[in-house]
Amino acid sequence: MSPAGMIELTIDGRKVTVPPETTVFDAARMNGIPIPTLCHQQNETPVGVCRVCVVDVGGRVLAASCVRPAENGMVVSTNSDKVLQARNTLVELLMSDHPSPCARQQNTGDCELETLAKHAGITKPRYPKRTTGRGKDESSPSIAVEFDACILCDRCIRGCSEIRHNYVLGRMGKGGLAGIAFDNNLPMGGSSCVSCGECMVSCPTGALTNKVVTGTHFAEGSDAQPVTVEELEALPVFKGVSGTFLSLNKGAVVHRRYKKGDVICREGEYGSSAFYILDGKVRVSISSPMAHVKTQGGARGFLTKLTSALARRQDDQRDEETDQRFIHIDAPVDLAYENPVAELGPGDLFGEMTCMSLYPRSATVRAETDCTMLEMMRNVLDILQRNKNFRGLLDQSYRKRALDTHLRGVPEFAALTDDFINTLRDKVELIRCAPGTVICRQGDVADSFYLVRIGFVKVSQRHPGGEMVMAYLSRGDYFGEIGLLQGDVRTATCTALDHVELVRISGEDFTRMVDQFPEIRRRLEEVENKRLQENRARLALAQDVPLESFLAQGLMEAQSLLLLDLERCTRCDACVRACAAAHDGITRLVRDGLRFDRYLVATSCRQCRDPLCMVGCPVGSIRRRNSLEVIIEDWCVGCGLCANNCPYGNINLHPFEVMVDDLERPGRKKPMVKQKACGCDLCTNQKEPSCVYACPHDAAHRVDPSKFFAGLLKTTPAIAQRR
Amino acid sequence: MRIDRTQRTWFIVSLAILIVATVVYVPYARSSPHGPSGASALGLTFGIVGFAFMIFAGLLAPRKRVPIWRVGSAQAWMRGHLWLGLLSLPLILFHGGFRFGGPLTTALMVLLIIVVGSGVFGAILHHYMPTVMTVETPLETIFEQLDRRRSQLLAEADNFVEVATAMEGPVASAAARAASATEDTGVAVEVDMTPLRSFYAREMRPFLQHPSERGRSLADPAKARTMFDGVRTLLPAELHETVKDLEEICEEERQLTKQSRLHHVMHDWLLLHIPLSLALLLLGAAHAVMALRY
Repeated sequence: MSPAGMIELTIDGRKVTVPPETTVFDAARMNGIPIPTLCHQQNETPVGVCRVCVVDVGGRVLAASCVRPAENGMVVSTNSDKVLQARNTLVELLMSDHPSPCARQQNTGDCELETLAKHAGITKPRYPKRTTGRGKDESSPSIAVEFDACILCDRCIRGCSEIRHNYVLGRMGKGGLAGIAFDNNLPMGGSSCVSCGECMVSCPTGALTNKVVTGTHFAEGSDAQPVTVEELEALPVFKGVSGTFLSLNKGAVVHRRYKKGDVICREGEYGSSAFYILDGKVRVSISSPMAHVKTQGGARGFLTKLTSALARRQDDQRDEETDQRFIHIDAPVDLAYENPVAELGPGDLFGEMTCMSLYPRSATVRAETDCTMLEMMRNVLDILQRNKNFRGLLDQSYRKRALDTHLRGVPEFAALTDDFINTLRDKVELIRCAPGTVICRQGDVADSFYLVRIGFVKVSQRHPGGEMVMAYLSRGDYFGEIGLLQGDVRTATCTALDHVELVRISGEDFTRMVDQFPEIRRRLEEVENKRLQENRARLALAQDVPLESFLAQGLMEAQSLLLLDLERCTRCDACVRACAAAHDGITRLVRDGLRFDRYLVATSCRQCRDPLCMVGCPVGSIRRRNSLEVIIEDWCVGCGLCANNCPYGNINLHPFEVMVDDLERPGRKKPMVKQKACGCDLCTNQKEPSCVYACPHDAAHRVDPSKFFAGLLKTTPAIAQRR
Repeated sequence: MRIDRTQRTWFIVSLAILIVATVVYVPYARSSPHGPSGASALGLTFGIVGFAFMIFAGLLAPRKRVPIWRVGSAQAWMRGHLWLGLLSLPLILFHGGFRFGGPLTTALMVLLIIVVGSGVFGAILHHYMPTVMTVETPLETIFEQLDRRRSQLLAEADNFVEVATAMEGPVASAAARAASATEDTGVAVEVDMTPLRSFYAREMRPFLQHPSERGRSLADPAKARTMFDGVRTLLPAELHETVKDLEEICEEERQLTKQSRLHHVMHDWLLLHIPLSLALLLLGAAHAVMALRY
């Protein structure tokens, strides 16, 4: 006799009593009878999608125990032959499509599906695998998504919605194409996911796993004190961050204490962490001399030796020399050109770009007072940046302190008044984009103006024959003005190259701004006209010459090429020696490179139209003039990233001995070798580049590739055919 | 430097100088009772002009050592070197009246002929060889880096073979299993790498280490193709890509060897031309001093 209101049923021959509305699965569990399952978790609503928990309740078909309510007098069998056969078949079917061992099985050996399969003695499924994989999503720095390992159990979806109330995850597609998706099928890193980690904790397989990257843990030492999860949770900046996630990433954030005068990081050094100041003050500065490399001499007398020297922009005005007054660095402040020093205090975060995109440090940071800070790695910073509380604090700090200098740092906006900036302060939207995110698409209606705050944006246009990269924009650059000024659609597609943060000004505010400040409108229209002219010139070029021919060797990217006619060149290297002689023994030319028919495109700066060298410069010191020629600004910190990025090896680092502030002995100076990036300057103070002048065989020529190759292809059809 | 239409101006000027010199020389030689002499006013003039041309030609070397001095482009100096150097021979012959004279002047004449001859030979080489090198060695590298590139090729080849032979054994990798039809039967797959290992140790590695040694079969493209085809037949299809990579390494090695040879052909004549030119200038200067003084 069952107690009043209770239900009595028999499971595997045992009589059990459970409260009404209890499922068969729970009834069995409460009485110590295990039923395997994949899609069900105690803290989530049962959905019965995996059917692994099937039991025989005497019905026509087997029932999923997680959703089947227990009934009075019900006789349940959880391990009859029929049940085991059905369950094993299901597991075998799932295993046939499972990348065994999956990431979870490899790392922790507890993939629930593979454990079930092992218990069932399924080693090799009899069913064929699906022919095409479902892919991976590596866009999140903290969670790896492997769609092939997903068994569509929906545990992650329920975790995201029912437990965390984030509603980011959902189902997408039907039948064999069904899968989980973030937002409206966005990459995880670009979605509204807050990296709480619930999906990862819920996932029974290796479909969602914590990214374990080499070096995600700091080595503990005297200066790096471990921080417990409890300590982190007690800090206001970590409010709302998932404790589960913090414990999974334990060791990726440490406490560091610095004494007054200690150097926290140096400009140009490579790093992988960001710093959050808890207390104390730090001094941010650039110690590299504010100057660019200038080749001098040679012009006055024919025997005068050429030398390379450092020159400030006031002393050596180059064509289209910038009048930019602020240097954008990887911190919530900009440094003044004349005195590149600033101070940061509690609540400030610096080193975001270094941490997220592994760019070199943009400035030297020294403790101004004794200070304490948290040093964190990419996975932790990503969690923080997705945390609404932390983002709010950072955004508030940016609006309050950096928006003015950021806007005014753009020469076209120099005329903005304080009043107007104050009205913009709360209206601008600060947005983040994961690598690869399309910010706006060519042909879309123009509705916003964007200012790049952090990261790099690629601007490209579609046209017959392929995509053409128009520009790379970095901090301080802007885009979206052409469509707005013309009241039309976007003329190009803008894509985030890395972790990008943007200041978005709505179309209405932009219109108000250009109406109120005619000078800004005039300057923006000038820029717009220049950009449109450049675009038209490129399109004309693409129509004249078969694009594939040039793209194949990257020659079309060049604005000016050093070509060696291999049928004249005796490989005497006079050109290389001349280049070295012209630049203090450091050649900017190597007689090697791509071949186009009988021409060797020697390794010398090509003034590319797709200047990859500009991507990642931590201080934005490499840009190009309207002629597309690359120019390196005075505030280059000599990190060498541009030299590494240049696919043609055309940028060199020129060492100079300079006197810099001695950080160990404040107020004193010491000699130090500092490097400055420089490219081929075409020996601009000479009538002819040294390499061409020194070639005795008439083999070296500087050419405009568009004219040269177009002419060559037209006059020599055989070449065009061969290409 | 190619001898082509771009040389037209220098050719015409040189020809004009030669014609003028000949026009002056022939009546002079005919009217001289004792035949033309270097000591005569006209003979001396021929000698001075010829020697001046030789000095100008010889200045090309110091000009090359100061490539950034703006004293005329190296190309202009090279054209001058070629044509004025060539002109110096008939002018000096006119100077000596086609007679060699005493031991010093004989030595000078022999030297001049050798220097001009080697120069002409060099010019011909510089006209043709760059094209030959461009066509025959598309994978050429910087000459000074040949040894380094060779070491890289050897390391690459070692790596390819190491990776491939790691698949050997009764329990092969998934890739090797996939290459076998026995997968579904559960029979272990035996992949035998002996042919590859033995070919590499016996033929390919020694060739990559000493590519110029005589008797290496892989130095001959046709023989190499046959050998690689043979190796391919002994290995599963999946390893054919590796064999192709190794074949490409051998091809590059052959091209580097050829590049080295062609480079020497193109430049080694200078080992004769330059020292003899220097000797010619020194002896010529000595001859001038002695002739003018005594």
